[in-house]
Amino acid sequence: MASVSFRGVEKAYGPVKVIHSIGFDIADGEFTVLVGPSGCGKSTLLRMLAGLEEISGGTIAIDDSVVNDVESKDRDIAMVFQSYALYPHMTVAENMGFSLRLRKADAALTARRVAEAAKILNLGPYLERFPRELSGGQRQRVAMGRAIVRDPKVFLFDEPLSNLDAKLRVAMRAEIKALHQRLKTTTVYVTHDQVEAMTMADKIVVMHDGRIEQIGSPLELYDRPANLFVAQFIGSPAMNVIQGTLRREAGAAWVEAAGGLRWPLAPEGPGRDGQAVAYGVRPEHLALGGGAEAVAAEVIVVEPTGAETELLVRAGDVQVVVVMHGRTNEKPGQAIRLEVDRSAVHLFDADTGAAIRA
Amino acid sequence: MTRLSLRAASAEAKLLLIGIPVAIWTLLPIYHLLLFALSPKEQAVSGKLWPEHPTLHNFSMVFHQQHHYLSHFWLQMWNSLIIAVAVGAITLFIATAAAFAISRLRVAGGRTIMNLALFTYFIPAAFLAVPMYKTMSSYGLLNSQWALILAMVTIATPYSIWVLKQASDKLPLELDEAARIDGASPLQLFRLVYLPLMMPSLVAVGTYALLLAWNEYLYAFLLLSDDRSTTLGVALGSFLSADDSPWELLMTTGLIYALPPAAIYYVFKRYMVSGLTAGAVKA
Repeated sequence: MASVSFRGVEKAYGPVKVIHSIGFDIADGEFTVLVGPSGCGKSTLLRMLAGLEEISGGTIAIDDSVVNDVESKDRDIAMVFQSYALYPHMTVAENMGFSLRLRKADAALTARRVAEAAKILNLGPYLERFPRELSGGQRQRVAMGRAIVRDPKVFLFDEPLSNLDAKLRVAMRAEIKALHQRLKTTTVYVTHDQVEAMTMADKIVVMHDGRIEQIGSPLELYDRPANLFVAQFIGSPAMNVIQGTLRREAGAAWVEAAGGLRWPLAPEGPGRDGQAVAYGVRPEHLALGGGAEAVAAEVIVVEPTGAETELLVRAGDVQVVVVMHGRTNEKPGQAIRLEVDRSAVHLFDADTGAAIRA
Repeated sequence: MTRLSLRAASAEAKLLLIGIPVAIWTLLPIYHLLLFALSPKEQAVSGKLWPEHPTLHNFSMVFHQQHHYLSHFWLQMWNSLIIAVAVGAITLFIATAAAFAISRLRVAGGRTIMNLALFTYFIPAAFLAVPMYKTMSSYGLLNSQWALILAMVTIATPYSIWVLKQASDKLPLELDEAARIDGASPLQLFRLVYLPLMMPSLVAVGTYALLLAWNEYLYAFLLLSDDRSTTLGVALGSFLSADDSPWELLMTTGLIYALPPAAIYYVFKRYMVSGLTAGAVKA
């Protein structure tokens, strides 16, 4: 168990900088998820922590000792790869015990540790099989078993669930989380899937173009996104964003979108009259209703998922997603009015994308 | 369906049309070899399709070295074997180490070295025979089997490196990374992960080098002139140095000499096809 800290970490391939001075801390036992679109540098950052990529600038420390020049094998970390990277010529047991074998550990100790890990991961019946004889989910568990047997200071996961089908991914997500709750090993987990990030993380680091956009707990990011990028990246379906101009008049406030459509704001909220803004509202904060401030719209598509119904509607010249609990009788083409939960609206500066806060 | 469709039948016919001539073309010399080997001396060139009194007498003569051309048959067979095995083993060692360094350790300049090595194939081996003879002579290696072994290793190595490098490029890099994180040193990575996974290609390349040396005539003829040090291949050539060549014995010995490669190929054919084509296409 260990803490990890990044201080001004940079990565450049020749003149091309892919990571720009990143700094943050991971507490002992914390489950941290690095999330962002592909190419944002999250995997590179993880690989730098693993010792698989050179660090061009800054320092990475594990337990307060800088590891920039320490070899992977001496960093006391374990990594689970997207492709599993199991040794094809070794059985499950040999795969899991390989790191101990390299350290010339006692055979009985190795066998015990492998058996323990196999028990945790329900791999007992498969110990003598080869990776090619296992299903995707079982291989993924072997890769995790290999990490567990090490009993490392830090677990690293590089998009471990990307090769699994949707159902298995959900199941493995829960398994990894349960595993962390049981072992309480400091974990750094990379994914492009914000749902994985939201469901698993203690702390999420949202990255974009080699920079950190925001760090926080899942619900902090969801409730108080620092900028438009985070707002649209976190949450599924994504937050609706409408460009417009903020208006204040006679104790009322709204954002006027193209075509004169008024999106209501709480009058006591931040922002000045005439400011160009992006108006953000999550799909579940919109409802059908007929209040005075309701916005006129037209239904385009109705998508029932059982417990919820997703409506794609057109309001003025923008398309907006509405999520409703239960079912609905609305039909495509029907005119409706949208009620906005004003307390849940986010405002962002139209130029910088930064959240406008009081 | 019990009846072949016209289309399938015509496809089959085309294949046979190509296959039968190729088979005859290939098998005819071997048939001749066998025919001579089984014929008594006086009937060997009688022109019959099959000898009237087939005999194994020729084989007995060869095995008991009962002809002055054959006086060192077993020794020369042994020489051929030793040289071929040594060439296979040394080539394999050099090529594997080189391919590992170039492909997995990404040694700087590795690609250039591989390309330079391949460049040597622009010059036909026959052109290099005389310089090679001079070189071996200055090292005092003439008539030593090391001369032929070193020469053949030189010829076999570039292609072997190339095949092994292509094959090892196909092993996922994550395996190396996983092993490094698991605590493997480069040598442990080589021994415990790389070698086992490269086994099919190693067998193919080793067999290639071994057969190349086994079948070599020109270099063996030049570098080994003593009857006691030369290979059986060269000894076969010397059968033709007199006017009254014992054709039936030449063919019998030739047939025997062809058997080990055939056996090796048969045993390893699974690896040969997949291994040698593994490097054929740059994926």
